[in-house]
Amino acid sequence: MIVGRIPGQRWFTPYLFALPALALFGVFFVWPAVTAVQLSFLKYDVVSEPVFVGLDNFVRMASDPRFWTATGNSLLFLVGLFPLLVVLPLLLAILVNQKLPGIRTFRMLYYLPVVTSMVAVAIAWQYVFNQQGVLNWLLTGAGLLDQPIQYLLDPFWALPAVILVEGWKSMGFYMMIYLAGLQTIDSSLYEAARVDGASAWDRLRHITVPLMVPYIAVALTMEMLDAMQAFTSVYVMTRGGPQDATLTLGYYIWSAGFEHYEMGYASAVGLVLWVVMIGMALLNHRLTRGKA
Amino acid sequence: MRRAGNYILLTAIALVFVGPFLLLLSAGLKPSSQAVFSFPPDIIPRPPVLDWVKEAWTVIPYPRYLLNSVIYVAVMVPLYVLVSALCAYPLARTSFRGRNLIFMAILSTMFLPGEVMLIPRFLVVSQLGLADTFAGVILPGLLSAFGIFLLRQTFANVPREIVDAARTDGCHELRIFWHVMLPASRPTLAILAILGFVSVWNSFIWPLVVLKDSAKFPIALGIAYLSGVTGTDVRSLAAGTIISIVPVVVVFMLMQRHVLEGMRGAVKG
Repeated sequence: MIVGRIPGQRWFTPYLFALPALALFGVFFVWPAVTAVQLSFLKYDVVSEPVFVGLDNFVRMASDPRFWTATGNSLLFLVGLFPLLVVLPLLLAILVNQKLPGIRTFRMLYYLPVVTSMVAVAIAWQYVFNQQGVLNWLLTGAGLLDQPIQYLLDPFWALPAVILVEGWKSMGFYMMIYLAGLQTIDSSLYEAARVDGASAWDRLRHITVPLMVPYIAVALTMEMLDAMQAFTSVYVMTRGGPQDATLTLGYYIWSAGFEHYEMGYASAVGLVLWVVMIGMALLNHRLTRGKA
Repeated sequence: MRRAGNYILLTAIALVFVGPFLLLLSAGLKPSSQAVFSFPPDIIPRPPVLDWVKEAWTVIPYPRYLLNSVIYVAVMVPLYVLVSALCAYPLARTSFRGRNLIFMAILSTMFLPGEVMLIPRFLVVSQLGLADTFAGVILPGLLSAFGIFLLRQTFANVPREIVDAARTDGCHELRIFWHVMLPASRPTLAILAILGFVSVWNSFIWPLVVLKDSAKFPIALGIAYLSGVTGTDVRSLAAGTIISIVPVVVVFMLMQRHVLEGMRGAVKG
């Protein structure tokens, strides 16, 4: 047992150590959280005095088509990022978990987008998505496309394009989580399976995936959080457009608060998002508990 | 044969992750006489020139933005590591009233999406008179649930004998923290410093909300700002973006072997 009361220690010493963190927690988390709840019952445009409106903000949400568009788009983010952040990174991790000369360099290259800013990533992807960009050149060259597409300006393609970039940027991070997990698996399990004549697919299904459940759970929880709060990618690539095609809940909150100065309504949407996210995290915890 | 196939696959995937950056590099090094966009893509700069890098450096305020980012990193990273470590120490090594409550409260902030807190936190920061100041950017970024969580794990694993020996020698808690715990946890401190560096260097949303004065912008926000300003040439924007990427990639390359260990510690806990 490491933890224990230390003889001669004054009772307040632990609190002194925690004080800076607790002060920051109080000022920048508790106080804003209380403010957010208060705001959600107010109509407040920063300039005029706040007015108490009861549950109006929440009622308004139910009949606000843009709120539902944003909700739908956030759910599409959630679905679209699942293969990109939960499934593919596991395969990538298996690939870079091999003992090969130079494998570290490949890991680092896959991780590169993780350490660059979303702003830089958005600017780099312009050269892919532009009308005269690489993607149109590849697709028309392969005969899959007759006319070049303006991906980020097209109401159908803008959302998939933003999701793709978001997934591309974070994939390396999820790969590292899985890689950390793979390195805890005892390699003798695979050798025994090979002796028994198990194929690569069998080994993936019966050894790797079951042992990786805790890591898959972590990846899934993080994917949900990432998807539900997608904001920066939308902000720097499409500003929620065209025609609200990429309007996510995260962007809608920002836009309602800082573009339209509807602080109360924006806070109400934020609270709903928060409750949904906690619900998702709990659901995921229940689904994966006991299987670990 | 199998090995060759492996390398071909690894390289093809690497191209997917590096490709867009290569296109950016190509645009930033192209001479004015060569079109940025063309069909088919004309990727190799002929000849590669540093004109746009120079232009980005001198004409537009990149040095200012870079300096700001250096300031934010230099102030925020040590403080954030210190605040996390101070809080993690009693959580890992002593039992006191409210210990679990404090830990759960701080951990719960991990599930608090930044976007939800954006507006109320901005109002709080404005009420404190910190809007449009360096302090307004810095202070809310100093609390890290992840940092506290990771260091608590690390501190808990420091052998008891060393701590007891120090205590027998008459060390008080602050000395044990500073001369025993921190040196014994160097790899974790390094990981936190790298992650902190990356996130502060790339910070965008919070500075966007807090700052009005573009002279205080960190580099990522500065680039986004410039990309919206008409008259900024695509090539110099590309060059400036490359300048912004280089420091963070260099730091990461130097420190990368620590990251995997850190992830292992974080998930296992």
